[in-house]
Amino acid sequence: MQLNRRQSKRLGIYIHIPFCRQKCAYCDFYSYPPHDERIYESYVDAVISHMKSYKSVGADYSPDTVYIGGGTPTCLPPEEMLRLIRGIRSSFRIQKDAEFSMECNPATVDYDTLRRYRRAGVNRLSIGMQSSNEGELRALGRIHTLREVRDTVRAAREAKFTNINLDLMYGIPYQTMQSWDETLHRAVALKPEHISLYNLKLEEGTPLYKNASNYVFPDDETEFAMYTRAISYLASCGYRQYEISNFARPGYECRHNLKYWKCEEYLGFGPSAHSYFADVRFSFKKSVSNYIKSVRGVTNDEMTDDYEQIPLRERVGEYIMLRMRLCEGIDPREFFRTFGKDFESLFGSKLMRYVKGGFVDVSNGTYRFTPSGMFVSNYILSDVLDFDADGNFVI
Amino acid sequence: MTDRQKKIRNFSIIAHIDHGKSTLADRIIEATHGVERREMEEQLLDDMDLERERGITIKARAVRLEHVAEDGERYVFNLIDTPGHVDFNYEVSRSLYACEGALLVVDATQGIEAQTLANAYLAVDADLELVPVVNKIDLPSAEVDRVRAEIEDVIGIPAEGCPAVSAKTGQNIPDVLLAIVDDIPAPDGDEDAPLSCLIFDSYYNAYLGVVVYVRVMNGTLRAGERIRMMSSGVEFDVVEVGYMRPLGLDKADCLSAGDVGYITASIKNVSDTKIGDTVTHADRPAAEPLPGFKEALPMVFAGIYPADGARYNDLRDALEKLRLNDAALSFVPETSVALGFGFRCGFLGLLHMEVIEERLEREFNLDLITTAPSVIYEVDVRGGERVRVDNPSNYPPPEVIERAYEPVVKASIITPTDYIGGIMELCTDRRGTFHDMKYIDTSRVELHYTLPLNEIIYDFFDALKSRSRGYASLDYESDGYVESKLCKLDFLLNGDIVDALTFIVHEEKAYARARKIAQRLKDNIPRQLFEIPIQAAVGSRIIARETVKALRKDVLAKCYGGDITRKKKLLEKQKEGKKKMRKLGTVEVSPEAFMAVLRLDDDN
Repeated sequence: MQLNRRQSKRLGIYIHIPFCRQKCAYCDFYSYPPHDERIYESYVDAVISHMKSYKSVGADYSPDTVYIGGGTPTCLPPEEMLRLIRGIRSSFRIQKDAEFSMECNPATVDYDTLRRYRRAGVNRLSIGMQSSNEGELRALGRIHTLREVRDTVRAAREAKFTNINLDLMYGIPYQTMQSWDETLHRAVALKPEHISLYNLKLEEGTPLYKNASNYVFPDDETEFAMYTRAISYLASCGYRQYEISNFARPGYECRHNLKYWKCEEYLGFGPSAHSYFADVRFSFKKSVSNYIKSVRGVTNDEMTDDYEQIPLRERVGEYIMLRMRLCEGIDPREFFRTFGKDFESLFGSKLMRYVKGGFVDVSNGTYRFTPSGMFVSNYILSDVLDFDADGNFVI
Repeated sequence: MTDRQKKIRNFSIIAHIDHGKSTLADRIIEATHGVERREMEEQLLDDMDLERERGITIKARAVRLEHVAEDGERYVFNLIDTPGHVDFNYEVSRSLYACEGALLVVDATQGIEAQTLANAYLAVDADLELVPVVNKIDLPSAEVDRVRAEIEDVIGIPAEGCPAVSAKTGQNIPDVLLAIVDDIPAPDGDEDAPLSCLIFDSYYNAYLGVVVYVRVMNGTLRAGERIRMMSSGVEFDVVEVGYMRPLGLDKADCLSAGDVGYITASIKNVSDTKIGDTVTHADRPAAEPLPGFKEALPMVFAGIYPADGARYNDLRDALEKLRLNDAALSFVPETSVALGFGFRCGFLGLLHMEVIEERLEREFNLDLITTAPSVIYEVDVRGGERVRVDNPSNYPPPEVIERAYEPVVKASIITPTDYIGGIMELCTDRRGTFHDMKYIDTSRVELHYTLPLNEIIYDFFDALKSRSRGYASLDYESDGYVESKLCKLDFLLNGDIVDALTFIVHEEKAYARARKIAQRLKDNIPRQLFEIPIQAAVGSRIIARETVKALRKDVLAKCYGGDITRKKKLLEKQKEGKKKMRKLGTVEVSPEAFMAVLRLDDDN
């Protein structure tokens, strides 16, 4: 037994539910409201048989996180969701203390459903609150109200969820510092263990992008002020920032998302899902029908979209790109242990001007973005990192 | 006059731009069976892509055609096509000197325009017989009789019953052929006299060396003879002489007085075959060169830099190749703190500059950064010396300047009377001196102004067009230098002068230009991690300022669902953009932004 446990490697499992009740105006994730509800059953069938095909993985791996995201996972009829959860458990040896997250939208779940999911093993609920302001929610094309957020949180607590995340957004049309403060206060009042703050980005092809000229967006200065305000306010309420967009009470950091930023392995299932496994990054095409057919073997259609081997030098670049998202930043000693290279001689001089400018902090020997550095992190990372003609990192 | 000469007609076609000069040339070539119909390409004489696209003729072309007239006699037509733009006035005048007559093409819907007049005067100066041809009679708005009357009134040549044609449809083209035979004089000249040939064009061919287009005025030239260029005294041995056919060169035994043809003589460099120069025999030279030779002097200067600094050598090679065919293009290496290594290039005018830029970009696949065009200023500095300044950043400091001079031009503008007010306002705003206004007919006038050349090259033509809804036309010629109150306007980014953004402006224009360029810098410099002050300065005096605010945020990709590739692509794209950036002092600016700052797209 001892030997067995040591051999089991950790793994994250991501399941994409590409369905929602109504597409939000800003959303560019692969998700749509299905016109025929029979798709749910065949989709869950496909995901389960797809997972089963990875059964051999179970010999070496034991997942310690599961994340059901979307879309709106809670769009699935509860019977289908429960079947899916059972499918995950029968395909992989999920660790006992695994973090098992599910995303949900307010007004798509009730107490009974949440209770059943909690009993099935889901132990972390991520609720898309976004804003407490009716006008802002409407501009985003959200289908819920603040009251429904409160009801969902209450129902989740009653269903014995002890780890709840609220997603909030800033940079919404018409949003002001005042309304942002209000949203933050109301979110904190619901006492979530975790809060994520997302800066609204206009994604090409979304309705919000097309109609952008009809809206007034907060300017960059205001957005930066919103960001720093949130950091200090949440800190004062006991939420520690651990990543650019993520805040948690100690011990409630999202272990699944941390895998992305720490270059750990994860397998994603479903169309548009991404995986990083055995030094390969790959993803599946954004088509439910293609996915179902491919899994069933009905067609020979390739369902893989991107497929990329990640050699060592790429890992170094990714490490920097992703680690710098974390507040703990990069510890040169750990960098040396991981790659056998001296971080400071590789990047120290390039980073120095940003240290001087107050964008990077090295006061305790690790390199970390300050809040103003996080807000311009692409600018700094694209300056510090080099790419070859094929778009791979050059170290 | 010999019998041979009696059957030769040497002529040009002159016209305002777009009046159909090249199309008429095509029809004449077709009608004389110079080219089989299936070989006919639109605008055969304009063989650069650029010329065909823009409908302009940049270099002069010539072609020898044979025409059997109605009386059964066989005539030789030497058609010399000329550039239609004011930048190439000198080349036009040399082409005209090679002819005895010219077809003056006038658009039946537009009437006489500025270049119609300017070219007609050049032709009259060259003693040519003018044959008016009214074109575009197929258009519903054609007014043949009104335009004929206008030609008689304004130019003073008989036009009643002159050919009225549609070069597009081919209607009445035989009338033109008849007029060429009947109205254009045959050449004379003594076949046995000492040789004098006028060079009216030349180009470099990789196999033949420079091919020189000449009109033989006197004497006879054969292959193997030694020739001398009279302006420089350089000598060559003739390899081949012959005629220019529509689709290539056609070797001949000799060229004699009255002929138009080509010479090859293993000449390496077009600058040895200057347009307007006289070719004579080395052993029996002509007593005098033909009159009117001038060195083609560049009037407009700009710095040209490769957008990618690593392509400096490619740019040099490309300029050298272009100069093989364009003696008017000059360039010397220059270094800019802001833009790195590049060349200060001299051009005949703005069109010439645009053509060169486009050819560098298209034919040599180069991305360029070009500084604002400038003229040559002359400055008397303390101590009595006069210096010429072709790069604004070399302009002497105010304390050593005694007097400054700028080049001016005599400009002629023809416009419908409706737009006189706006155009006079524009000319006044551009520091023009009004001379007179002449009515061409009841609805159109010709205005004469003296204008500083630096105002002309700063977007004058577009401003003129926009104030006249495209109807006004412009022609100008250089008119020497006048004393002027000039100042050097510098721009500072983050406290450092950006040499590539230095302008010489008239004192009165300094504030307006300073504010405008500062605003454009602000709009085009991408935000960076620190605030960037922009200042405009005359000497040590700051006359305008703006600030580019610091970048506060960029896109925080969500990295949701573990899509790392997308984030990486985003960074890579950003890096790609950054690589193209040029450092202007401590500030990074993309070539596009730099060019946008110098964009000339509105009044003043």
